[in-house]
Amino acid sequence: MKKSQILKARTAGSAARRFGLGMISPTMLVLLIMTAYPLLFTLFYSFTDYNLLRNLQKPASFIALGNYTKLLHDAYFRQAILNTVKFTLLAVIFEMLIGFGIALLVNSLTRGQKTMRTLLLLPYLLPTVTVALSWRMMLSPNYGIVNQVMEALNLPVFNWFSDMRTAFGMLLLIDVWQSAPFVFLLLYAALQSVPQAQYEAARIDGAGAFKILFFVTIPNIKNSLALCALLRTIDSFRLFDKVNLLTGGGPANTTSTITQYLYNYGIKSLDFGFGSAGAIVMTILVLFLSSFYIKRAMG
Amino acid sequence: MKKLFAFLLTLAMVLSLAACGGKTDPPSDASGSAPAQGNSGGSDSAAPTKLTLILRAGTYADVIKECLPAFEAEHNVTCEVQELSESDLYSGIALDAINPAGTYDLCMVDGSWMAEFTASGVLANLTELGYELDSDIIPATTTICYVDGQLYLAPYYGNVTVLMFNKANVEAAGYSAGQIQSLDDLLAICESAQASGKKGFIYRGDNQNNLVVDFLPILLSFGGWVLDDANKPTVNTPEFKAAMEYYLKLIATGEAQVKDDLIASVDTGAGTMGIGWPGWYTPTADSTADYIALSGSASAGAQAYNSNVYGIWTIGVPNNSQNKELAAKLLAYLMDADVQKSTVPSGGVPCRYSSLQDGDVLASYPQYEVVCKALESGMYRPVISEWTQFYTTLGTEMDNIVNGVKTVDQGLADAQANLEQLMG
Repeated sequence: MKKSQILKARTAGSAARRFGLGMISPTMLVLLIMTAYPLLFTLFYSFTDYNLLRNLQKPASFIALGNYTKLLHDAYFRQAILNTVKFTLLAVIFEMLIGFGIALLVNSLTRGQKTMRTLLLLPYLLPTVTVALSWRMMLSPNYGIVNQVMEALNLPVFNWFSDMRTAFGMLLLIDVWQSAPFVFLLLYAALQSVPQAQYEAARIDGAGAFKILFFVTIPNIKNSLALCALLRTIDSFRLFDKVNLLTGGGPANTTSTITQYLYNYGIKSLDFGFGSAGAIVMTILVLFLSSFYIKRAMG
Repeated sequence: MKKLFAFLLTLAMVLSLAACGGKTDPPSDASGSAPAQGNSGGSDSAAPTKLTLILRAGTYADVIKECLPAFEAEHNVTCEVQELSESDLYSGIALDAINPAGTYDLCMVDGSWMAEFTASGVLANLTELGYELDSDIIPATTTICYVDGQLYLAPYYGNVTVLMFNKANVEAAGYSAGQIQSLDDLLAICESAQASGKKGFIYRGDNQNNLVVDFLPILLSFGGWVLDDANKPTVNTPEFKAAMEYYLKLIATGEAQVKDDLIASVDTGAGTMGIGWPGWYTPTADSTADYIALSGSASAGAQAYNSNVYGIWTIGVPNNSQNKELAAKLLAYLMDADVQKSTVPSGGVPCRYSSLQDGDVLASYPQYEVVCKALESGMYRPVISEWTQFYTTLGTEMDNIVNGVKTVDQGLADAQANLEQLMG
């Protein structure tokens, strides 16, 4: 009897394992095809001088670390890394602060929460190209409404995207404007799960608003805060579309991000070997940045 | 039960993956007939053959599109047109070139891509397809269309750099269009405009290509160029330095703007002048802006150089087109003298004497006389396969100089060193 029970248990266990493998196999297949293969492909080509058009006449040749050496010796690439890190840090800080602030505000409303939620989410729902082109029109030195309002108020006007003093700040502003609603949404959802009893207990104990925020709210949503920060870090690090549409990396490389640099020096001239090397370097940097969050999140 | 569920789920996934890769019938065109691929030449009784064109968005594509219906009706074809920005057009043609069976049958090509495309076998030999250029086409515009005596491209749209200006601002500075004889006159007009509260010279500083292209006519007027006859970079030369120092004074009277803002600035009078292209703006008798060809002289009495830079849009047939013969017929049709002349009212600028010197055309569009002269003596941008990397490198250093990050000497020295490394 005992033997048959053990056999039954073993059979059930292996059946469960097979079922589990069967369930994850479609996902593993998609991951292998859509993620692992392109990554390996990119890594392979990063060690070659692959040019899309030249390859039609002469196959690419292996150049070992030639692309990486060229990349890391290029002052403009180092500037692009600096710009990207600076942008990522500032964007994440502002988006988290503004998103969290809005989430707290909307959560505290007694009426109109749903309406506010929908309205505040609108910038995030817009396609990035639409956002970039709309802001370009608003900030146009010719007919842009921003300059017209500033002129009417006797304030100084700028050529926002062509001036070294303002171009970076404008990109940051536009990205924060579009992405803070995403942070708001995630943190707002997290705030809904904070037990009300803890707030009541804190109030009974005489805690003020700041103490409630730092000792009740934030500890309860810290995992969501970490997740938001991680997602925004990854997204901000990969910033390309707004830079490409609005400044092209200029003026004088002040807004050139890693992806914009790779586009200018690799993709545009179809030097995919060089571009692949840059993509691998960028992947390593993103993994490095993300590792801090992941370690903290996993405790 | 679990096994059955797992099996059904896997089957559903595999079937959906297979369905995604399945061939679907292409959508039918507006007339309702189902298009068919193949090199059939579009016989009358058969389903129409589909030709796909990849063109530069804007006036360049618009004038081609208005000519297509007649060709479609005569040859039983349907033409699908993709209109793209310059950089997307370049990468679109290049990315499709690696496919054994190409998507496109007719492509619009910028002259500066010629060397790279022909070296890589991207374009079909038009001579072998039975097409040749006729003598009505302005000869100087055809130089980049041939490789080893074989024709690969046809010059379709006669873009050449012109000086766009606001008529009122120029008059207020005490000049007329005919009195702008040198770059010194340009500077004087722009400084006068700046003094009266307007912007002087507007330039495109939004990317490296535009920075370089807007500067080239100025450089030519100083007798300089970016390469010598042996294709060695010549950016750290006295001529280049003099041109750059002049350019810094000129752009200090205005500011950097994107193309649409530049046109709007000059049109409204907010800005006074800028380097432009005929395809951007069609002046009329009562328009506020106009354009002229640059004289090619840096100062009064100085030697006049040929300073008009071509931006001619050529058309060709991709080498992997599935309908080469039919595409060649379409190309010949679009290049027909009468068909090209018919595009003039819509903003077309044919590289043809019969269009640009026609009495009726000049009566309505007198600026085409200027364009014709400019096309007769224009300079192509360097036809080298490294041109994309060349202008990216040069444009980056020019951007640094223009924004004061580097001095002229420093920027040009760095540009020279980097370009020498690029050209080998």
